[in-house]
Amino acid sequence: MAKKQTSEAAKASRTSDDPVFGYRALPGIADEMVDIDGNVRPVWQHLLSTIGRMDETELANRFARADRYLRDAGVFYRAYGSKENSERNWPLSHIPVLIDESEWDNLSKGLIQRADLLEKLAADLYGPNRLVSDGVLPPSLIAANPQFLRPMVGITPADGHFLHFCSFEIGRGPDGNWWVLSDRTEAPSGAGFALENRVATTRAFSDLYAETHVHRLAGFFGAFRDMLQSRKRHPDDRIAVLTPGFANETYFEHAYIARYLGFMLLEGEDLTVVDDRVMVRTVAGLKPVGVLWRRLDAAFADPLELNQRSHIGTPGLVEALRAGSVTVVNAIGSGMLETRALLAFMPVICRQLLGQDLILPSIATWWCGHEPERDHVAANIEKMVIGPAYSTRPFFDDNGQSVLGSSLRDTAQHSVADWLKSDGGKLVGQEAVTLSTTPAWVNGKLTPRPMSLRVYVARTPNGWQVMPGGFARIGNGADAAAIAMQAGGSAADVWIVSNRPVERVTLLPQESDFIRTMPGSLPSRAADNLFWLGRYIERAEGALRILRAWNGRFAESADSEMPLLKNISDYLAALDIDTRQAVPDSLIANIDSALFSASNIRDRFSADGWLALNDLAKTVRKFQATVEVGDDATHAMTVLLRKLAGFAGLVHENMYRFTGWRFLSIGRYLERGLHMTRLLGHMSGEDAPDGAYDMLLEIGDSVMTHRRRYNVNTEALTVTDLLALDPLNPRSVLYQLNEIKTEVEQLPNAFGNGQMSSFYREAMRLHAGLAVMTPEAMNTDVYRRLEQELERFSDILAQTYLG
Amino acid sequence: MLYDISLRITYAYEVPASGGRHIVRVLPLSLPGRQRLIAGTVNFTPSPAERSDTVDFFANPAASIVYRSAHDRLVIRMQARVQLDAQPLSADFSPPLEGLAAEIDEILSVAPDAPHHFLGASPLLPADPTIAAYAASIDKPGMSVRQIAETICERIHRDFTYDGKATTVDTPPHEAFKIKRGVCQDFAHVMITALRSLGIPAGYVSGFLRTIPPPGKERLEGADAMHAWVRVWCGRAGGWLELDPTNNIFAGTDHIVVGHGRDYSDVAPVIGVLKSYGSHETEQAVDVIPLE
Repeated sequence: MAKKQTSEAAKASRTSDDPVFGYRALPGIADEMVDIDGNVRPVWQHLLSTIGRMDETELANRFARADRYLRDAGVFYRAYGSKENSERNWPLSHIPVLIDESEWDNLSKGLIQRADLLEKLAADLYGPNRLVSDGVLPPSLIAANPQFLRPMVGITPADGHFLHFCSFEIGRGPDGNWWVLSDRTEAPSGAGFALENRVATTRAFSDLYAETHVHRLAGFFGAFRDMLQSRKRHPDDRIAVLTPGFANETYFEHAYIARYLGFMLLEGEDLTVVDDRVMVRTVAGLKPVGVLWRRLDAAFADPLELNQRSHIGTPGLVEALRAGSVTVVNAIGSGMLETRALLAFMPVICRQLLGQDLILPSIATWWCGHEPERDHVAANIEKMVIGPAYSTRPFFDDNGQSVLGSSLRDTAQHSVADWLKSDGGKLVGQEAVTLSTTPAWVNGKLTPRPMSLRVYVARTPNGWQVMPGGFARIGNGADAAAIAMQAGGSAADVWIVSNRPVERVTLLPQESDFIRTMPGSLPSRAADNLFWLGRYIERAEGALRILRAWNGRFAESADSEMPLLKNISDYLAALDIDTRQAVPDSLIANIDSALFSASNIRDRFSADGWLALNDLAKTVRKFQATVEVGDDATHAMTVLLRKLAGFAGLVHENMYRFTGWRFLSIGRYLERGLHMTRLLGHMSGEDAPDGAYDMLLEIGDSVMTHRRRYNVNTEALTVTDLLALDPLNPRSVLYQLNEIKTEVEQLPNAFGNGQMSSFYREAMRLHAGLAVMTPEAMNTDVYRRLEQELERFSDILAQTYLG
Repeated sequence: MLYDISLRITYAYEVPASGGRHIVRVLPLSLPGRQRLIAGTVNFTPSPAERSDTVDFFANPAASIVYRSAHDRLVIRMQARVQLDAQPLSADFSPPLEGLAAEIDEILSVAPDAPHHFLGASPLLPADPTIAAYAASIDKPGMSVRQIAETICERIHRDFTYDGKATTVDTPPHEAFKIKRGVCQDFAHVMITALRSLGIPAGYVSGFLRTIPPPGKERLEGADAMHAWVRVWCGRAGGWLELDPTNNIFAGTDHIVVGHGRDYSDVAPVIGVLKSYGSHETEQAVDVIPLE
């Protein structure tokens, strides 16, 4: 007997040491993998036994595959606060959350009912307000709600619906039932990240994924896309994702989802309202927009009628909504449905509006504006979380605005009850729930971590549809309050597992409906950023070449007062480049500007190009701290030039040759032409210092060509010929003008009614003017004039296409 | 009283604006029993490319105009004939402050006139502890809501100096309160903030003031441009009452109402988004001529 006990204890201790099979739920807390009796749920068994067979190295390799995918795909989120806003690697928790299909189906019924309910609630709040006149909702909850956007009152959405895409933050309580913790209707984020979580997780567990009947996500997005398509009023209408811009926390997702669904990615300033129609400014003129999937906070969408301080909105958007000419998803003003205090009224609202009971309960919530509820909160304060009534975030993710009732103490002057009374209408009490845990891989073993689930519901041609999956947020400790990613939490994929094979859907076009569609019109702002990206990149290259030549010669002579070096230093000083610095500040500013331009158009870039440009920016900073003037700097410039060429190469090899490419190219050619023109004007005069021509050839990367082509030592005429007038030298001024002319010819509206546009004519004139010149005729005045003409050309381009 | 009112607002742009979109609220309201708009027009020079006339949430008429070509000035002209009816000041039916919250709760409506809109913070008027302390020092036990409002109006008039140079259109109320100087907008904003801090619903009224004083009376401050005052909700029986803290009077037949809102941002005569690089100068000219 005693012996048997020992052996069982030994077995138990061995299992509880096991990194996988030793997993135990925390006492009194529901767990996703293990049920209340400690048994592994059937849906998890295959995953658990598969992982259990792997050793630590194999698991590490698999996790690394997922992380590498995320890094290569450029998935990031933006962390606010601390010293600077920075892009952080995506924190994937590699173990997916598995949910049984039948449980999910039940949950889905509750979610769809809730989406219907919220739609009806929005229609009442911005319409007749019967809930207020019937005494169901306290009027102050609406009138004092910062999310209540008065200009929207009385406006019926173009297609009759306020909501098209909702998300819900849900959690499982200790009794095993799901609760809605928060409704997300303003601009729900995370669906795109859910897609990326899926791809990354399947990189780690491709075998497991193939063996398990996991519902695919693509069908959900396809159906949502079809619904949006059906909202266009004219075949010519565009559909766009409206983003606040690249500084936003979830900009990556905006760019990702726009690319995934094939919509334009636009910012408020891309749009203008003409005759009550929303139009996008493109390089081919104004084009109509029929549907906007809004990822911008509603109040910022129109500085004229909404938040007057907004700089990222579109004046007149509300006017267009009033005219019913555009569908905005979700309707402006629907953020009000997220109000935390509304959770307290959901059961009664549901009975009033749908004549039904809520299928899926909300987390128990009491608004403290009325005495009975307030008294209840005060009496049960130990079990409550107290938070702001108008908050639109769940209590565990509201930057610490909510406090545990158990932590509150009466002070000498004020009791907690006084506080609840004086601030009543501004406060809610919510039951302090313990969320369920799910296994995460922590310190080499499966560990229970608190979890909340973000799930998505979209309107489709066949009504509401629930995304079969979601976005799990996992806490970084036992504390449920630390689930938010900003607080160090992580994200996991969610697998809805069926016991029979699932339908495989892809959003990639099928063979049967193959058509080669040309990209839509390029927004002017994107063209502007591409043009300037081209210019900044080329400007950086020009500066790097001159600095390399300067430092090389300085390394030989160590005399910066030498006429040639002095001459170049003066030239660079006029461009705000200080040769006393090995890596001048203005060079860094220049590369940062390129990065800034590129940030604005992330949706047009390959992840490779983006990473290369970031690498360049990081390297140049590192060099500034370490590199010294002279030989050291020469070497550094060579490294930077190589990295720059790497970026340019990636762009050159991978970017589709359409309008966007042309603006980028014109930017590069123009800047290179300007660079060479200025340099020639400065260094090729009669008073050019000794060695100037050799240095020009070096900067122009034309030493070898010169040696081959001209059987003489460097002299003014041959250098001028090669660097200014040679149509075959890719560094000559004439070459740039020729390329510009070729690109401009392909731009929209280069011809109108069979005539050249004035801009195209200008490009032709510039090219022809230089093409007829001889080396003898080139002098400082000619270069100066040419420089002015090139600058003017840039202005005309901006006026014609970028305004 | 019958008035002919004319308003001219001129914007002169240093650099021509290449386009713009504006919302203009300058036309007097029709308010049954208080004032009637007999006729009124609003014109713009140059002529806008688009124009639409709507009514905003607070029931103010608003003209929305769009320019698409370059222009170096914008002139807004409003002309109106308005009939004002004298309203004898009723007895004070307002409840004591302690009873007001319950009366507010009884109003089951979020219609534009409902007191609920005028209680909390509004875009330009966040809660302010200093102004709240000022208001608390005025509130004495047993005072009716109307007495409190009248006292605050009187105190602001006494404590503040009318000074057209001390503040700008963007000055927040706590700054105006600190220097105790400003114009009608500042007086109104401070008074509204004070009332709301006590839980009394208060709103902003924009409008015109009779330009030429009746014989033997002094000319009122603020008559040379658009004026602003305050309306206070004095309970179900008391209703809305208009007080002018700039002149320490009840708004009567000298006050012509153009707009109701929570603060200036709801009723600004011109809100605009302009495509322009330079600065601009503004000029406002008002004439309010009594016809009888």
